[in-house]
Amino acid sequence: MAEETKTKEVRHVIPKKALYHAAFNWETWVQTNYNYERMMGMACGHTFVPVIDYLYKDDPDGAAKRKEVMQREMEFFNVHPEFGSCILGMAIALEEQKSLGEPIPGEFITSLKTSLMGPLAGIGDTIWQGVLIPILLAICIDITLTGTVWGSIIYLILMLVITYVFSFANFFFGYKQGSEAIMDFLEKGLLDRLLLGAQVMGCTVMGGLIANYVNVSCGLKLVTSGSTFNVQKQLFDAVMPGILPLGFTMLVYWLMKKRWTSIKIIVLIIVIGIVGGLTGILAA
Amino acid sequence: MSISVLQAVLLGILYWIGEANLPFVGLWTIQRPLVCGWIAGIILGDPLTGAMVGASINLVYLGFISAGGSMPADMALAGTLGATYAITGNLDAKTALALAVPIGILGTLVWYTRMTLDSVFVHLGDRFVDKEQYNKLWIANVLLPQIMSAAICIIPCSLAAYFGAAYIEDFVDMLSGTPLTIFQIIGGMMPALGIAITLQYIFKGESRAFLFLGFVIAVYSGLGLLPLGVIALLMAIVYTQLAYKQHEDKSKAAEEADMEEDF
Repeated sequence: MAEETKTKEVRHVIPKKALYHAAFNWETWVQTNYNYERMMGMACGHTFVPVIDYLYKDDPDGAAKRKEVMQREMEFFNVHPEFGSCILGMAIALEEQKSLGEPIPGEFITSLKTSLMGPLAGIGDTIWQGVLIPILLAICIDITLTGTVWGSIIYLILMLVITYVFSFANFFFGYKQGSEAIMDFLEKGLLDRLLLGAQVMGCTVMGGLIANYVNVSCGLKLVTSGSTFNVQKQLFDAVMPGILPLGFTMLVYWLMKKRWTSIKIIVLIIVIGIVGGLTGILAA
Repeated sequence: MSISVLQAVLLGILYWIGEANLPFVGLWTIQRPLVCGWIAGIILGDPLTGAMVGASINLVYLGFISAGGSMPADMALAGTLGATYAITGNLDAKTALALAVPIGILGTLVWYTRMTLDSVFVHLGDRFVDKEQYNKLWIANVLLPQIMSAAICIIPCSLAAYFGAAYIEDFVDMLSGTPLTIFQIIGGMMPALGIAITLQYIFKGESRAFLFLGFVIAVYSGLGLLPLGVIALLMAIVYTQLAYKQHEDKSKAAEEADMEEDF
């Protein structure tokens, strides 16, 4: 439907090479000057540097208009770098069309950027740092702990490739498809489906991690008339091996739900370790 | 085992690359103890120990999320120094982990200092834009802030590596016996934190049962995490297919019900 009404050919003045350079600038220098005042604002400006000279080329008032664009892009901006790169692509496309005479107000571009930044940061941080990285790390840590450096190498290479490929693809998605497509994607069920699948996979892997890498064991041995009762081996392991690590992890999870900070939990773990170790209730 | 000045400086540079996001991907890669522990191991001539200790330390920071400029713990410093101390002091992974976690808390100071001082360069960037010198923007966005980051990252980390390595062995000798056991107990419990943080994001609704399923499979089958990951992926695909089939059926039914109400 939309295609039929769009009979007008979309003109482009920015060469492909400059766009690649812009996408590279975004992904590579996005947090080199991360700061509380504008967050990634200047990184936005830096992303526009390779493309800015192509805008308003034949305009006698070009220099002033280019400056206006740069000032607009240096404003406060904060998003998840890889999920948010489509916003940069979209902003470049809008500034390009504006320079070609489309009636797009500058404030519209700024407000579109700021309205997309929140949802993309939320989704991006959850999927990227809450699901993708933990699962990849869990598997690669497991590989390394079998006694090889390959887990570290595989993680390093995989993550570099995923980061740049995803960021570039997303940048060009934003440049070509524009804001409507981004909002479509945010509203469609596709994202929920991805999130549900990621949660199922993530939970399963975390279950395996608890079994393999959390260590809590009871050191108590009850001696009664000649026979010793090893609490860990004869009680907990008999119920289910790893039941204490599972219980302890769920306790920490529950405390975090109660808004305990990670520092508070670290202190708690240290206290439990000291008390448990001194009394012999816990064993290494 | 003490380390040379050159090694200490290299360790400082490693921490800087991980912490200061140069290039930015350092945040997703070199910042992780799994990676920076390995590279610290290369610098100290024992990559395998570095990687394995880094991997153990990384368990604590599995799902740490840095969002909106916050930094709950400095895993790059924990990984770099944890691996360094483990190699130079012959520590086992759990003891190194218990030592690394408090270091990681201290390290957040560097991050907050950096986030605050970086604001200065924003105004320099504004001036470049005012003068239409766009090609100089990289000086304000990359060069100067990174020199500043290098100073606040390399100096403390190199000093801590150099002097820490010289004393770590004596320190551990002093600890032998019950104190060392306590370190190992703490190191054993710490990964629960990394897992619990990750669970804050994914332990929701219908997916909850899968945590226990994964746990039971791992306990009784002894499978590694790679095969378990493959099984988990397949289960996720099957589950979403089933869930969304039901979803579609339901929404169809709901639509029909709505239509009926309209009449």
